[in-house]
Amino acid sequence: MSEVVIQKAPAPAPTARPATRPVRRRRWSRYSSRTFYLFVSPWVLGFLLLTVVPLGYAFAMSLTNFDGSSSLWRWVGFSNYQELLHDSDAWASLLRTVLYTAIVVPLSVAVALGLAVLLNRRLRAVGLLRTVFFLPSVVPVVATAIMWKLIFNRDSGLLNAILERVGIDAVTWLVDPTAFYALIILTLWGLGAGMVIMLAALQGVPVELEEAALVDGASRWRIFWNVTVPMISPVIFFQVVTGVIMSFQVLVQPLLLAETNSIGAVSTVPPSTHLYMVQVYQEYFANQRFGYGSAMLWVFFLIILIITLLVQRSSRFWVYYEVDRDQSD
Amino acid sequence: MTRATDRTVARRLDAGATYLVLMVLAVLFAGPLAWLVLAALKKQSEWVAVPIHVLPETPQWSNFTDAFTGINFPAYAMNSLFLSTVYAVLVTLSSAAVGFGFARLKGPGKRPLFLVLLSTMMLPSILTLIPTYVLFSRLGLVNTYWPWVLWGLAASPYLVFLFRQFFAAIPIDLEDAAIIDGCGYGRIFLRIFLPLSRPALITSFLLSFTWIWGDYLAPALLLDIDHTTLSVAITQGYRDPHGDYIPTLQAAAAALYVVPVMVIFLFAQRYFVRSIVTSGVKG
Repeated sequence: MSEVVIQKAPAPAPTARPATRPVRRRRWSRYSSRTFYLFVSPWVLGFLLLTVVPLGYAFAMSLTNFDGSSSLWRWVGFSNYQELLHDSDAWASLLRTVLYTAIVVPLSVAVALGLAVLLNRRLRAVGLLRTVFFLPSVVPVVATAIMWKLIFNRDSGLLNAILERVGIDAVTWLVDPTAFYALIILTLWGLGAGMVIMLAALQGVPVELEEAALVDGASRWRIFWNVTVPMISPVIFFQVVTGVIMSFQVLVQPLLLAETNSIGAVSTVPPSTHLYMVQVYQEYFANQRFGYGSAMLWVFFLIILIITLLVQRSSRFWVYYEVDRDQSD
Repeated sequence: MTRATDRTVARRLDAGATYLVLMVLAVLFAGPLAWLVLAALKKQSEWVAVPIHVLPETPQWSNFTDAFTGINFPAYAMNSLFLSTVYAVLVTLSSAAVGFGFARLKGPGKRPLFLVLLSTMMLPSILTLIPTYVLFSRLGLVNTYWPWVLWGLAASPYLVFLFRQFFAAIPIDLEDAAIIDGCGYGRIFLRIFLPLSRPALITSFLLSFTWIWGDYLAPALLLDIDHTTLSVAITQGYRDPHGDYIPTLQAAAAALYVVPVMVIFLFAQRYFVRSIVTSGVKG
């Protein structure tokens, strides 16, 4: 045991031999902080090499006309960004992504909260039901996409089979404009993880608060809105933020729902599910425009950054924190 | 009728309505998976039959064996298993170490570093994946498994946070204990904290395993068809001589591919619940 200390602690200087307390403490804190950096170094190095460097590399690429393979590239300054300003396809894909987010995030947060409220009651088989709703969120995306393609299949799919029973003609779901709704349904199917988070939040609300309101004669509906929701608002808020960031980066689902479901399928992604990341992907791998694609990535990065900052700044106006945030960590 | 029975009736009605809503939703959530399994058990001719057959006439269990031979399923499964295990072991150990550092050690700049870590939890990995691919192909790391080793060694902010919360809650006054015993932090971590953190280690291993098992984009970009994982392989194979997909076989393959995740999930659901409840993020 003691060898470890001797190796790591700075060698004691001969004059410091009758180690007084302050000296020992200083030496200890130096050892301690060096150990801190040693322990966190995997993440610090990883963050620098595998996040900062690729992001910087992407920024460098965004200033070139690199096509991914040839060595005949040159610096083009910010012209990729200027082109992006007037790129109607990119803008359309961004708007579509905003629309997708504006539909998916409120819906999934609301349904997750509703489900959590129902499953928070003392019911029989409530554990089994929780599992049923939670399970889809851990199904890998590839299986999810294959599964939903089988449901949205025009001739053999479950959805058209049901619609036929009620007298509605078969719909070709995975083309425009219905592919957009198919993508939304696929996304909502995985809201179970959000439900689990909401459920934990609900169970953290002190029972006395709700009981006190009940004694005061408040209706259950009012208690829910005026007691429960404010109490769990930090969790709801966090769900909205992560939900927005997650739905902004959706790429694999549209790719796999498309006709040929493969990595090269970007050309068969119907316009209605051609989200921003799909557009980025297309610029990189279908159009061989690595410089332009990198510029699009960086714009996306800045958008995420701005959203996060805005949301954090505004949160104090509409989120109720029981504990002072600065002391909570 | 007395007031008490009135209330009981109301409560029963209320519970009944809740059940009804939950049952309808449960069918909506479980239905798609059931349809996948049903499709996997149908003959190809039955799948395309008009009108649609809901239940297969005779379950075609041979679809599963065909899915196993239609592509080199065992080889791809081994690739997935290998990558997932290597990554899960490495990322669990590295994240535990970093989490320990943030939970129990002090150093200048710890607070800002932790804030950076928290904000990278929100950073979409897709942002760095494509440039990483370009970089790695220049470094000759494409079609190797080194990227997953590097990602594993680099720790995951999400898991670091998980471990940090876990270690911070362990009530031992270590600074004093360490001073008295002359024991270094390396030993304290390995001998005291790691054995205490079994639940966190299991959570981290299972979570990170399922991440890589379920990942599509990274293997699709970084690995060719000979090196790739099951997730990519099942989207590529299972075609008839015309190059069209055979949906029943693909369904069978997808069902087989999901089985490990399902098993892990059903046996270790509480670990999954704990992880997302601790962090408030869904992995």
